[in-house]
Amino acid sequence: MPCEIMEKERTGIINPIFTCQPCGAQYASIGIKDCIGIVHGGQGCVMFVRLLFAQHFKDNFEIASSSVHEDGAVFGAIDRVEEAVDVLLMRYPEVKVVPIISTCATEVIGDDIDGVVNKLNSGLLKQKYADRDVHLIPIHTPSFVGSMISGYDVALRDFVIHFAEKTKPSGKLNLITGWVNPGDVTALKHLLAEMNVAATVLFEIESFDSPLMPDKSGKSHGSTTIDDLKNTANALGTIALNRYEGGKAAKYLHDKFDLPTVIGPTPIGIRNTDIFLKNVSKLTGQPIPSSLVQERGIAIDALTDLTHMFFADKKVAIYGNPDLVIGLAQFCLDLEMKPILLLLGDDNSGYATDSRLLEMTEKVDFDMQIITNADLWDLDGRLKRKEIELDLILGHSKGRWAAIDNKVPLTRVGFPTYDRAGLYRHPVLGYAGAIWLAEEMANTLFVDMEYKNKKEWILNVW
Amino acid sequence: MEDKLTVQVEQIIDYIMRKCLWQFHSRAWDRERQNTEILAKTTQILCGETPDTQNSADRCYWVDAEMMSRGFKREFLWMAELDKDQIKTLMEKVKLRLDFLTIHGSLNRELTDPKY
Amino acid sequence: MPYHLFKCSECIPEREKHAVVKAEGEDLSFCLPLGYLNTIPGSISERGCAFCGAKHVIGTPMKDVIHLCHGPVGCTYDTWQTKRYISDDGNFQLKYTFASDMKEKHVVFGAEDQLRKSILEAFKAFPHIKRMTIYQTCASALIGDDMNALAQEIMEEMPDVDIFVCNSPGFAGPSQSGGHHKINIAWINQKVGTVEPKITSRYVINYVGDYNIQGDAEVMVDYFRRMGIQVLSIFTGNGRYDDLRGMHKAHLNVLECARSAEYICNELRIRYGIPRLDIDGFGFEMLNESLMKIGLFFGLEKEAQAIIDTETARWKPELDWYAKRIKGIKVCLWPGGSKLWHWAHIIEKEMGLDVVSIYSKFGHQGDFEKGIARAKKGTLAIDDPNELEAVEAMEEWAPDIIFTGVRPGEVAKKLRVPYLNAHAYHNGPYKGYEGWVRFARDIYNAVYSPIYQLSGLDISRDDFPLDQGFKTQRLISNPEIKDENGERQYSGQYDCVTPLRSKEYPPYPEPLSKAI
Repeated sequence: MPCEIMEKERTGIINPIFTCQPCGAQYASIGIKDCIGIVHGGQGCVMFVRLLFAQHFKDNFEIASSSVHEDGAVFGAIDRVEEAVDVLLMRYPEVKVVPIISTCATEVIGDDIDGVVNKLNSGLLKQKYADRDVHLIPIHTPSFVGSMISGYDVALRDFVIHFAEKTKPSGKLNLITGWVNPGDVTALKHLLAEMNVAATVLFEIESFDSPLMPDKSGKSHGSTTIDDLKNTANALGTIALNRYEGGKAAKYLHDKFDLPTVIGPTPIGIRNTDIFLKNVSKLTGQPIPSSLVQERGIAIDALTDLTHMFFADKKVAIYGNPDLVIGLAQFCLDLEMKPILLLLGDDNSGYATDSRLLEMTEKVDFDMQIITNADLWDLDGRLKRKEIELDLILGHSKGRWAAIDNKVPLTRVGFPTYDRAGLYRHPVLGYAGAIWLAEEMANTLFVDMEYKNKKEWILNVW
Repeated sequence: MEDKLTVQVEQIIDYIMRKCLWQFHSRAWDRERQNTEILAKTTQILCGETPDTQNSADRCYWVDAEMMSRGFKREFLWMAELDKDQIKTLMEKVKLRLDFLTIHGSLNRELTDPKY
Repeated sequence: MPYHLFKCSECIPEREKHAVVKAEGEDLSFCLPLGYLNTIPGSISERGCAFCGAKHVIGTPMKDVIHLCHGPVGCTYDTWQTKRYISDDGNFQLKYTFASDMKEKHVVFGAEDQLRKSILEAFKAFPHIKRMTIYQTCASALIGDDMNALAQEIMEEMPDVDIFVCNSPGFAGPSQSGGHHKINIAWINQKVGTVEPKITSRYVINYVGDYNIQGDAEVMVDYFRRMGIQVLSIFTGNGRYDDLRGMHKAHLNVLECARSAEYICNELRIRYGIPRLDIDGFGFEMLNESLMKIGLFFGLEKEAQAIIDTETARWKPELDWYAKRIKGIKVCLWPGGSKLWHWAHIIEKEMGLDVVSIYSKFGHQGDFEKGIARAKKGTLAIDDPNELEAVEAMEEWAPDIIFTGVRPGEVAKKLRVPYLNAHAYHNGPYKGYEGWVRFARDIYNAVYSPIYQLSGLDISRDDFPLDQGFKTQRLISNPEIKDENGERQYSGQYDCVTPLRSKEYPPYPEPLSKAI
């Protein structure tokens, strides 16, 4: 069989593709306005995640720690959560939403974060903060389960479970984006605006890209409000772009409130964006306007300049968030490229039955491996042992050395992309994303040709 | 006279604080040892005597003492005017003051930690 | 009292004793913040954990070692590719990180088998690497896997490999400093004395507490080598595992970052009688004295003086060019621990900067003793400042520049205060004579960047001239300054470290049969 799905052959990890669950929960939490999460665990579980966000966005995000030290690890540390909530609320008067995010340490010692939330709700919040609208939300994200992907999925679901409340129809569409960049949200909102569709976006993260202002007021934060979250129950339907990041929340809304729901496909590339727009149209009754036909045409025009001249038969490896990897692989196939290696960096049992991957196993006519529970050595090692040859790698910055040392050009995409400037500003979704991705891939290949003197003269007459 | 001596002590203490690190080892017993050995050797050098540098521990104390003595002579011209007894008196007072600042009067709660 | 309670921390009054303002006539018996105490939960501190202190700061700079974390994958991922601790032979330590990938079933049934397989796979993947450090994490500490026994077993099965076990879970201490301590003590207990090093010079040191940030340690080792001194080991920047097993054979421990590495020097003094000499590699004057002290110890004064003379002649005019222009710039110094005192005084003396505040993320009281001793009156000192305190202090003490980490630097950015990376440097190395010029240049380029002129302008309200054109850093600083004494701008290369690696040195003076 030319294309097979297999699990990584090794037990341990050499250069991980993902970090662990609490990071995903933290990424979801910063999307909410007036929300500061408390990560219940050691300080590193927050400090490094904040550093990761700061590296990716070149901006600061506020997340707190319960700072579990030795005594807490021995005797239990649930009192640290109580203190953390109080300290946080005292010093941050605007804070309304406080997810309590567990970690491996506090799950192993068995700290009852649900119990403490009940206790605080009936005690501290009533006594000391009666005049404030404060929501404490326990989120269980032990690091030894899943990955940052499932952490995001779980946290988003738990936020929706906590807030979603049936009142009156909002007439809006729920758009659950998954783990994306601000540039993606801009691109998606543009598409919906063209279709005259009002949407509740989970999460509104365009404001992650914050200004440096003369009055020093700029600050990066999410903008999804409590009302937005409440109203998810009153939507006319839900579109979750990603199966693994937001799929659980979409399913909950469907099961609980009977909302028409579409999960996927991730609108990467022309085909998937077409399907996305058609789904929006079906759910809302709004037609796809001619302006989008035109926009699509511009994207198609850009891709036509590149595809059979430059992209055809180029061998690509892709790693990163699973829906992103699958979407990119589909896009590469549309561009005549050969995604010969896909790396999905955790042990989610859903991959084996993912219809998008199964389609590849059925239809791809070249040798292709899809590795689950993969690490970056699955890429680097194959290159070093000369088991594969690649023209291009698509993935995030943690794989930079696999690319650099093996002299394969890498187009940075996904999270994190700290070794390139400003990528969070650019979309990979929608038609705008298709243009950006294709041109970024092309320009990456062109620079590589010039550095390696690989027929660089071809570009003399393009 | 006493005032002048106090000023001189403070000048030397200020020099040590700004330029040296040897007085800030992490535990009280180390600070006592460092203060005693290095200041004793400094006093010897300033008095024109030759400190013992035979074993490596002594040599290491001497290194800090020697560099400091050079600095004192460079920065504190008044020192040339002192005789041996005056130097010894001065350095005794320096030691008392330094012991106070870094050991007995120190607010550092880790000084008495029994282990490193 | 000298203590300072921030408005934002009035509701957590225990913070009061963590900040002091040094006043006239106040000495260390009066003016010292508390330090290295448990963090107040929810205060949004900058501190990391004891795991990262052990693995990330001290463990991973060792360059010929497989660094494997026993735990879920996050601890490994998070402490990978966030440092500039380089090595001279390909940066294996930066490029590769390993984890046993502990999952839920292992939490229930134990993860030793998982760890064993991970270890064997790692050695198999990198057959040329025969040394490994295994780091405990919160999860593996709590489930109680016996990593020591497993490491022993594997070493017996594979005689050509050696494994070091570092038991420093994230919760083991108030900050990363707990991990510095644990790995120091573990290393001397487990590994020092297990290799007899080859002594090739009459003069032998361990260079301790330098992590080769952008090449710092390589710059210092170049000086030592030029003096004829054999650097037996570097703890741990650009360091070799087996070299560090032979630390017990040095004549002298030259200690740079006492915060992270004094423990091993203290133990080496007691157990092996190797004296500890604390030095400062930052700043011309302090470096001169440091080299001279080492020179005195070995009777290499002339050799030390030759380096001082050559380097001063080469670089002093360039330092002075910047010093004239950055004079009076107000600085907030917010490093981890040791740069607090390494820099506090000497950047004032040699660059004319005005240090208005010194903070430490994980320093102990001993670091504040050193820092406050070197600071002038009016200086604010904060232990473990949390985010709101840092912002409040930035408004009140109004520094022109802040030396701190990536993320607090982003906070400062929004307040229109430029930042320099104190942990990883902007365009380092900052150690050594040339490094000190590079530091001054980075400061100059930061504070006189035209961007901060533009960023203060509100085009909707302010009147602004339309015909002014551009301004270079020099025009913004002070175009009137003259350079009569031959002061000049930095003339070194972008990369000043790589050329050191191919340098040739005269042979070492032969060892005496009996060491001094």
